[in-house]
Formats: sequence, structure tokens, C-alpha cells
Amino acid sequence: MGKKLFLLLNKAAVRRILIFIAFLVLLALAYTAYKAFGQALDDRQRDWWFIGSFFPRTDDRNMPPILDILSEFGKSPRIGGETYISQLFSGALFTLREAFVAFVVGSIVGLVLAVLLAQSKLAERGVMPWVIVSQTIPLIAITPLVVLWGQANLDFLPWEWKTWMSVSVIASYLTFFPVAVNGVRGLLSPSSEHLELMQSYGASRVSILWKIRFPASLPFLFTAFKLAATAAVVGAIVGEISTGVSGGQGLGKLIFEFARTYAAAPERLYLGVIGAGITGLFAFGLIVLVEKTILNSTGQQIRE
Amino acid sequence: MEVVSISNLSKIFNTGKDNEVEALREIDLTVTKGEFIALIGPSGCGKSTMLRLIGGLIPITSGELSVNGKTPTKAREERDYGMAFQSAGLLEWRTARKNIELPLELMGWSKAERIKRANEMLELVQLGEFARSRPAELSGGMQQRVAIGRALSFNPALLLMDEPFGALDEMTREHMQDQLLDICHKTESTVIFVTHSIPEAVFLSTRVVVMSPRPGQISSIVETNLRAGDNTADNTKIRNDERFYKKVTEVREALYGK
Ligand SMILES: Nc1ncnc2c1ncn2[C@@H]1O[C@H](COP(=O)(O)OP(=O)(O)O)[C@@H](O)[C@H]1O
Ligand SMILES: [Mg+2]
Repeated sequence: MGKKLFLLLNKAAVRRILIFIAFLVLLALAYTAYKAFGQALDDRQRDWWFIGSFFPRTDDRNMPPILDILSEFGKSPRIGGETYISQLFSGALFTLREAFVAFVVGSIVGLVLAVLLAQSKLAERGVMPWVIVSQTIPLIAITPLVVLWGQANLDFLPWEWKTWMSVSVIASYLTFFPVAVNGVRGLLSPSSEHLELMQSYGASRVSILWKIRFPASLPFLFTAFKLAATAAVVGAIVGEISTGVSGGQGLGKLIFEFARTYAAAPERLYLGVIGAGITGLFAFGLIVLVEKTILNSTGQQIRE
Repeated sequence: MEVVSISNLSKIFNTGKDNEVEALREIDLTVTKGEFIALIGPSGCGKSTMLRLIGGLIPITSGELSVNGKTPTKAREERDYGMAFQSAGLLEWRTARKNIELPLELMGWSKAERIKRANEMLELVQLGEFARSRPAELSGGMQQRVAIGRALSFNPALLLMDEPFGALDEMTREHMQDQLLDICHKTESTVIFVTHSIPEAVFLSTRVVVMSPRPGQISSIVETNLRAGDNTADNTKIRNDERFYKKVTEVREALYGK
């Protein structure tokens, strides 16, 4: 196992991580440089440098110093209260749970749809337009509906319905789509030669699906899972905010809180951005790791 | 014993539409057990179509066609066919051995039986030590050998091969021909083998079926049977034999007209 993990962190992976960090530093430098430039553009210089009128001026409020942002992580709303970084951490965990459920539910729905769509032209013509239409409806348009359904009589369920489950349902609305679309492409990817070969063995549709179509679609599915994982995090955060954050404890609530009190501490807005970014990246990285492990073991190529 | 019996068989694609194609016209052919039929003819004359008809992959338009006295569909359901194509068509996510096991899995063999037979087939095609290799790690010729092992693994009554050596270089090709013959003799297979190469057709076959351009018809049948039933005959000798060259000329003349 240790050896496997080591293989995953080969030279190329290490180089990628280093490049990522280099770009992060570059971004911070660019931010700081522009901040210095934008702050230097006070009225006097505005007259001197006509270029100044093309660039927005800036100050500590709309571009807080990076060090202030970083130190904000260690602060807390009240003296002795929970630090923001610790709030973000538990918020991220909470949101990740919702995103995970959304990912699983969306992937299952997406897979079922993909199998259905790949089975017949009729199914594809009948259902595909609806799948596409579903993605043209903004997420916030469906959240009130999901919230309403969540308040409906769900006693038949063996478990108690919680708000975070509604959030997962909302987020799964974003995750099923890439899985369905890429799934269809993957299921239809085997060559006619492979299919004829299976036919010549007298194989049933089910065995063709199981032995040819499904394994062939694995690389396509992982492409979809990577998209779905990040979409699940975004969907969960948006879902938390739009289902009313009173009950929630996720990143969405924190982002909402930070936005509400930005006048007092604009740095905090950045905490939400960074926290959400890292959480999405984590979900993405997790799928990449699983993808590498599985496709290495099946000898299939990772699709870019 | 008749394995394939075809009479007055015609195949028209897209009947009644703008893109109607008459692929085969009035084909008569009987193949008996143990025969090695080479099918040769210009590109597009319907060789692949003929194989697919015999294999029950597409329906016939008119005429009669039976395999072991059954309809092709029935024969297919009873797993009478082994098939191999120009591209080996191995599943990239399966090892060589697992690829050979594929038809056996579909036929409900137990795991132990499957492994045993797959190993035997790998030995037969001289790839014993590549059992765990994936197709991407094998050369084109090796992949084709795995595909042949797969086609033969369940002792099919009839082997249908569509230019299986078409993508191989000349040396590999001759080597594969020798191996195929050897395997077919050991397993007493009946084979219908499509090829573009006249020497290949002559060398392998007991009869060469020569087809004319579209609509595909059988223009002549050349008895080759260079081994005359002697399966131990030396392949190099046969390739250098005068009778071989004579038959090659005969097939060439049948193919291009005199
Ligand atoms: N599924 C199909 N639909 C329509 N036409 C086809 C189909 N399959 C083959 N044909 C046509 O039938 C003719 C014979 O094709 P084929 O059997 O592949 O030739 P060969 O294998 O001898 O080169 C060709 O003209 C080809 O275009
Ligand atoms: Mg062909």
C-alpha cells in the first residue's frame, strides 16, 4: 500500500504540485504588486499618470494585504471563541459530507440515465432533451421546491429528513449531468468489432453491457467524476446558502456570515473564497487519486 | 459432414432506399468438416459480408444458409463460432489470459476450467509467459495470436477469420500461418478465412473461393489442398514447391481473368 502511494506521487506528480505552488506564489506576488500600484494611484498621481485613469484604484478595504488575510485565519469572532480556520475546517467537513452524498446520489442517477440512454435511440431522443433542459434551469430556481418537498410528509422514510439532505439533493442536480453525458459516450465507445465479437458468442445485452460497455466507459466516467466532485462542492455551498443557513454549519453559512459582516473585516471574505477553493480542490484530488489507482490496475488510459 | 451449406444466397443492403447495395448475388457453397476455405476477391466484393452472414450477425436477403444444419442465429446461440478480425480486437483492460477467458466466461465455465483452458491456449500460440500482459504490452503479431487463441478456446465448430493477418509484416505473417495451420490440425477445426493475399490463400487452404467484383459472386473455386491430408508436411517445402506456384498462378488467373 505504501509502495502504491509512492508510485502515485511519482516525479510527474511532484512536478505538478511544485508548479501549482509556484503559480500560487506568482498569484500572490501579482496581487501584491497590483495592490501597491492601485494604492499609489491617489488623486495627485492620477493627474500625472494618465494611465491611472484606466486602472481602478484600490485600498486596504477592497484589497486587504495578503498577510492580513492570512492572519485573519487565526482570529476568532469573540475573544476566546473558535478561530476562523477551525470554523472553516469544520464547515468544510460538513459541506464535504453533503457533497459526498450529492456525488453518490448524482452518480447513481447519472449512471442509470446513461445506461438507459445508451440502450436505445428512442430513449436517447426522448430523455436527452430533458437532461439538457434540466441544466439550463438555475440551481436557485429549484432550491425552494426541494426545501418544500423536504418539509412535506416524509414519514415513510426510515430516517429523519434533515436540511442538509435537501442540500445534497440540490447539489446532486449538478452532479448527475456530467456522469450521464460522459457515461453515454463511454458506453457507446466500444468498436463495432468488439460488439460483433460478443454477438458471435451469443452474448446477451446484459453481458455486453457488463463485460464490454461498462469497463470501456471507466475512463469516461472518471472524467465525469472529476467534474461532478467539484460541482458537488459548489452545489452544496449554493444549496446551503439558498436553503436558509440558519440550521446549517457548512461553508455556505460561513460565506454568508462573512459577507454579512464584511464592513468590519473585508479580509474575511477571502477566507470563504480560499476555504471553498481548497475544499473543491480536495474533492477533485480525491477522485484523481482513485482514478489513478483504478485505471492503473485496469491498464486503461486516463482521459485528459 | 456439411458444416456450412449455402445455396442461392443473396444479400442486399438498404433494400428500396437510395443507398441500396447489392453485396452478394446467388452464392452456392458447401463446406465440409475439416476444410480450410480461403475467400479471396477484390475489395468491396462482399467477403466480410459473407462471413457476417454465415456468422449470423446480419440477416440474409434471400436464399438458404445453414450451419451444422441450423440457422446461423441458432448456431450462434449454441456457440458454434469462433471469430477473428483484422484488428485483434482484444479488450485493453484484460490481460492476455483474461481475454482468452472472455468467451468461456460467457459460456459459464468455472474459474478453474477457464484458467486451465486459457493457459493451454496460450501455450498453443506460444505466449505462455505473457499470460499477465495487457494488449498494450504485446506486439501486433502477439495480439493476433491471443485473438486466435481466444477464437479457438471453446472448440468452435467453425472458425470465421476476416483478414486476421492483414496488418502483420511478412515474416510474422508466415510464422502465424504456420501456427494457425498447426493449431487447426490439432483441433480439427473447420475454417473460412478471408484474405487479400494470393500466396496466403493458396498456402493455407484446401480450397480457394475466388469472388468477382460487386455484386459479389463466386467466379471460380480452385482446389489447392497442397498437403493432401498430410498434416506433418514441411511448410517450407510446400512454400517452395512447384505445385504451390502453379496454384498461385491458377488463383491469380481466376482473380484477374486471363
Ligand atoms: N452494413 C452495411 N450497409 C450498407 N452497405 C454495406 C454494409 N456492409 C457492407 N456494405 C457494402 O457491401 C459491399 C461489400 O462489403 P464487404 O463485405 O465489406 O466487402 P469486402 O470485405 O469484400 O471488402 C460494399 O460495397 C460495402 O459498401
Ligand atoms: Mg472486408
